[in-house]
Amino acid sequence: MKILAKLTGVETKLLLREPGAVFSLLIPLFILLVFGGAITEGDTVLLPMAVTMAIGMVGLYLLPTTLATYRERGVLRRLSVTPIRPGNLLTVQILLQSALTVFAVALLLGVGIGFLGARTPSALALSMVFLLGTGALFSVGLLIAALAPNGRSANGFGVLIFFPLAYLGGLMQPTELMPDSLALIGGYTPLGALRQSLHQVWSGAALAIPPLLTMVVYTVVLSLVAARYFRWE
Amino acid sequence: MAIIEVDELGKKYGDQVVLGQVSFQVEEGEVFGLLGPNGAGKTTLVECVEGLRRPDSGSTRVLGFDPLRQGRELREHIGVQLQHTQLPENIKVWEALDLYASFYERPRDWRELLERWGLADKRHARFAKLSGGQKQRLFITLALVGDPKVAFLDELTTGLDPQARQATWELVKRVRDEGVTVVLVSHFMDEVEELCDRVAVLDQGRVVALDSPQGLIEGVDSEYRVSFRLMRGHSPDPVYLLGELPGVTSVSRTGDLVVVAGRGDFATTVTTALAREGALVHDLRIDKRTLDDAFIALTGRSIEV
Repeated sequence: MKILAKLTGVETKLLLREPGAVFSLLIPLFILLVFGGAITEGDTVLLPMAVTMAIGMVGLYLLPTTLATYRERGVLRRLSVTPIRPGNLLTVQILLQSALTVFAVALLLGVGIGFLGARTPSALALSMVFLLGTGALFSVGLLIAALAPNGRSANGFGVLIFFPLAYLGGLMQPTELMPDSLALIGGYTPLGALRQSLHQVWSGAALAIPPLLTMVVYTVVLSLVAARYFRWE
Repeated sequence: MAIIEVDELGKKYGDQVVLGQVSFQVEEGEVFGLLGPNGAGKTTLVECVEGLRRPDSGSTRVLGFDPLRQGRELREHIGVQLQHTQLPENIKVWEALDLYASFYERPRDWRELLERWGLADKRHARFAKLSGGQKQRLFITLALVGDPKVAFLDELTTGLDPQARQATWELVKRVRDEGVTVVLVSHFMDEVEELCDRVAVLDQGRVVALDSPQGLIEGVDSEYRVSFRLMRGHSPDPVYLLGELPGVTSVSRTGDLVVVAGRGDFATTVTTALAREGALVHDLRIDKRTLDDAFIALTGRSIEV
């Protein structure tokens, strides 16, 4: 326990020194504030978009880059010659990045609900969708970390898939303005499924099963594949 | 007492034999060298000993532990500096030491280590800001923070400038002086010659020789030369006499310069004979045979592949 506490402490400091962590917090917030001026009372679109983007940035970008960099620099290998298992570091990282995601979302909710007058959604539904979405996007991130040879390529790959996924997921423009076929496909992408479910959370509608199931499938399948292909060095 | 016992260790990757029946023992308190060109199997061997890799055959005991089945207990008592590993860029020196100290049941006081290894003023520096030599010192300190009985140092001075290399050698001697047994993996002859009590020479996954550096050098039966200048006005010419000495193969004289070639320990014989004859000489030079010569004699090629 003492070791895990120490490891968590150091990793927290390292995460806070990482500019990427700050970006993951600030970019969605910036977008919320820029478009928030035009927000109408009871808006159900903007906050789900910003929240999806925050989770996506951590999962697709920060998590894989951090893990692939650790492997590239031999940090995991170095740990394997100490009495502790390098797996501890992965666990701590995933927990920390989850905490960062919670913080980012809380910040967006605070600003969106507190200052921009967005609706307060059901806490239970929001928590459930948040968990599923974080699971799905972190699994994509873990897969990138497993397959990328080094930190730079993990970073590049994350950026490369972020924009197409963000487009398909309806984060760039409302899905109504997209071609039907793309909007349909988008509903089955991790970001699209998450945004859809969050939209339902905010509009108070019953949660549709397909996007929830989509996120579950991504979480299970991709994390298994990632675990299968992950290399310690 | 043997601290490390490696018995007939074998390892293959596919069809390629990486280690073939490697056996050796490391005694307590010595600096033991593993010398060989890149690809000789040094790193694989060390990783098997550390329990990071599973050998296909043979047995290993380190401090009485089986590295594979008692890896956790073993790693409590060994310190490792790995080739090609870095720390996170933004970690501070003290944070790294504090963290690594927490991994061990009975760590050393890292503040004292910082002082001892001259990193005290770099305590709050981030890893990325350290020079190559400082990073190397930090790695050694991290390898020692668990108060190990054995330290494995892998290619310690690769990429360092000559000055930093010299400084690092002094550090290794200090590690030894603190009573830690050192296993030094290297492909630098001068480093091994300077630091190691005994060396296993590895070539294509096999131990081709195991001796002290001096023993390896003396074991090479190649010709070398001794030269000197005779002081002017010296009466009895000693040159005729030198040709008769055991080990001497040829003597030549050009003016006052005398060059004697021979094998084995003939240099001592020559200087003794000169002294006995009362011959006054200056500019005495003995071609020093080096570990390079020994390595070429053992493997048939130079280490720089």
